[in-house]
Amino acid sequence: MVRQVITDVLLTLAVLTVAASALGIATMPTAYARLHYVTPAAVVAPVLVALAVFVTEGLDENTGETVLALAFMVAAAPFLSHATIRAIRVRADGDWRGPADRTSSTDRASGTGKADSHRAGGRGTERHDTERHGTGTERHDSAGHDNEIGESR
Amino acid sequence: MTSFVVAAIAMLVALVPAGVVIVRGTLADAVIGFEFLTSVAVMVFALLAEGFKRPSLFEFPVLLAVLLFGSGLVFVRALERWL
Repeated sequence: MVRQVITDVLLTLAVLTVAASALGIATMPTAYARLHYVTPAAVVAPVLVALAVFVTEGLDENTGETVLALAFMVAAAPFLSHATIRAIRVRADGDWRGPADRTSSTDRASGTGKADSHRAGGRGTERHDTERHGTGTERHDSAGHDNEIGESR
Repeated sequence: MTSFVVAAIAMLVALVPAGVVIVRGTLADAVIGFEFLTSVAVMVFALLAEGFKRPSLFEFPVLLAVLLFGSGLVFVRALERWL
């Protein structure tokens, strides 16, 4: 009886977490804001589900497999979020670095821009058509830097 | 119907807003919706396996978690470079 109550509470919390995340993803205005709401569904809810299975089944094979799957999710979600925000930023700005970092990098290259062009251009990150992005972010060209980024593509 | 099955159904309902974002949003929004969907899908399969007491089905969420992480990275890379 006690186990059933604890399981129900854990599952309710997991469902509420997922529902709140879904609501956040649906209502947030930009991709940057939406991405914040993936994390609770990918990190918090799996822990609650794994705990619910553990409380019900005890320490057995099913619990082990559930914990394995959900622990992998918990470990992988931050990496995926980081890669996603990086990709969105590259699409929006042409480079994942902020304008200040790009400027200092150009200064270190003694005004030639070769080092910066090599580092950024190797990723093939040039984007100029703002209509395609629609990520809700504005693009700021910093001192004609976009021209350097795409030269080596 | 156990509480695990009920929770799985509730999580499936929670996927509807993400589906709307995938269909109607921009490309970046769609990738984020896909990531949310994959996270919830792994949990749903684990919940259903427990709810229906099918131990063999517990292997499915394990495989899905690994494969969907890789596919998410592929989508993100494509979003960054080619799309």
